[in-house]
Amino acid sequence: MVKVYVVDNGGQWTHREWRTLRDIGVDTKIVPNTASFEEITKDDIDGLVLSGGAPRIAIEGSLGNCGEYLEKAVFPVLGICAGHQFMALFFGGEAKPSKVPEFGKMELTITKQDTIFDGVPKKSIVWLSHNDEVTRLPDDFELLASSENCKAQAMKHNKKPFYGLQFHPEVEHTEYGRQIFENFVKICGK
Amino acid sequence: MFNAEKFIEETIAKIKKDVTSKTLIAFSGGVDSTVCAALINRAIGKQLVTVHVNTGYMRKNESENVKKLMEKMRLNYHFIDASKEFYSALKGVEDPEKKRKIIGEKFIRIFEKVARDEKIEYLVQGTIAPDWIESGDTLRDTIKSHHNVGGLPKDMKLKLVEPLRDLYKDEVRKVARALKLPVSEKQPFPGPGLAVRIIGEATPERTEIVREACDIVEKEIESAVEKGLMEMPWQYFAVLLPVKSVGIHGDRRVYGNVIAVRAVQSIDAMTCAFSKIPDEVMDRISTRITNTLKEKINRVVYDVTNKPPSTVEWE
Repeated sequence: MVKVYVVDNGGQWTHREWRTLRDIGVDTKIVPNTASFEEITKDDIDGLVLSGGAPRIAIEGSLGNCGEYLEKAVFPVLGICAGHQFMALFFGGEAKPSKVPEFGKMELTITKQDTIFDGVPKKSIVWLSHNDEVTRLPDDFELLASSENCKAQAMKHNKKPFYGLQFHPEVEHTEYGRQIFENFVKICGK
Repeated sequence: MFNAEKFIEETIAKIKKDVTSKTLIAFSGGVDSTVCAALINRAIGKQLVTVHVNTGYMRKNESENVKKLMEKMRLNYHFIDASKEFYSALKGVEDPEKKRKIIGEKFIRIFEKVARDEKIEYLVQGTIAPDWIESGDTLRDTIKSHHNVGGLPKDMKLKLVEPLRDLYKDEVRKVARALKLPVSEKQPFPGPGLAVRIIGEATPERTEIVREACDIVEKEIESAVEKGLMEMPWQYFAVLLPVKSVGIHGDRRVYGNVIAVRAVQSIDAMTCAFSKIPDEVMDRISTRITNTLKEKINRVVYDVTNKPPSTVEWE
């Protein structure tokens, strides 16, 4: 059984991420972002999800021990919302308050097809809830998807299996959310 | 995938092990507390004391129906009418968080009294995932203090038992169906009740207005669903707004309040989309509310906001 843990950054939907992984049949657990990398990896995990949360990445610039996880991880990592923004910041990109924040329903356009979007059409409905966004991708990352008001909706590291999503694949109202999670779990199982 | 049968089996075994003496369950008659009562009743039988409190902020005829349900389920119950106490505790209170906390504490004080009289150690609550998620903690912002989590007084001595903590409503419904409970499809109703559907002070007079409006919304939507005119919403109700507007009744000016109708589609309450209600159904709701509530309500509006950015209830 693939083992993917969820790092809790205080998001309203952290527990939904746990539930989606459990429903797919993944061995999963929620861990606080104050846990050390050693504590999290002593169970020999195959991947990590960095949840969203209330912290304003563009203003505060930190997110528990997520920096340590990104520095040491040799397994796939999926950053969601604040987790995605922090990932960009950590690798030298930029996150700033959104000119037009997005709350609720939006259309996502995939600009570059990738394994994480296998089975997801070019345009689909996603749900969001963010005040900040990634305004410049780090050098090692490439853009995968955008929405009308936010360019960096999805990104991927060129050399490592690290992904960032601004939208929330874990909520019921995101059309292909479960598919995206299944794709991530497949990446973790490789 | 969530397996209701396995959950029932494991939960009953766990309760048998953890709950070693007399236990009180806070029973609203909704899906969550009814599932809890059924599970605990199976585990410890007569050791379970069920308490239903009529807060005065219940829906039309609700507490009477809950009494019938407790009898049907053969529960050992107390039925406590505390309407007057709740109304006086909320006198002059307008802030939604204050309302929620006062109600949360009031519930506990009533349970504590029963617990003292009957020498009870444990309190069972039908808390589910969104309740503690939205109540906030060291990592999470407080969206709203659910009365059964963020509204608990700090000095409470009863030991909490919350078997449904990791479940969402759709999963609780699966358990309810497996247990063949008659409430499995009942729409959610907040613990603070109609008090959080009255923006501003929740006086007895204003409660009667919103109680009537909620009843009309429920009956009209249920009849429309039955006729196949629309999909059954996840939750559907009325909110009394402290806004006044000018109207006309029989050639005379009236100046009454506004009712907002709210109906949403959801699976787990963590994200919701507003329901698409056909115009003819809206028309009936609006006419019935304004004609029934006369000079008190002369305008009806429909809430077209998703969650996020809004929440289901207004407070």
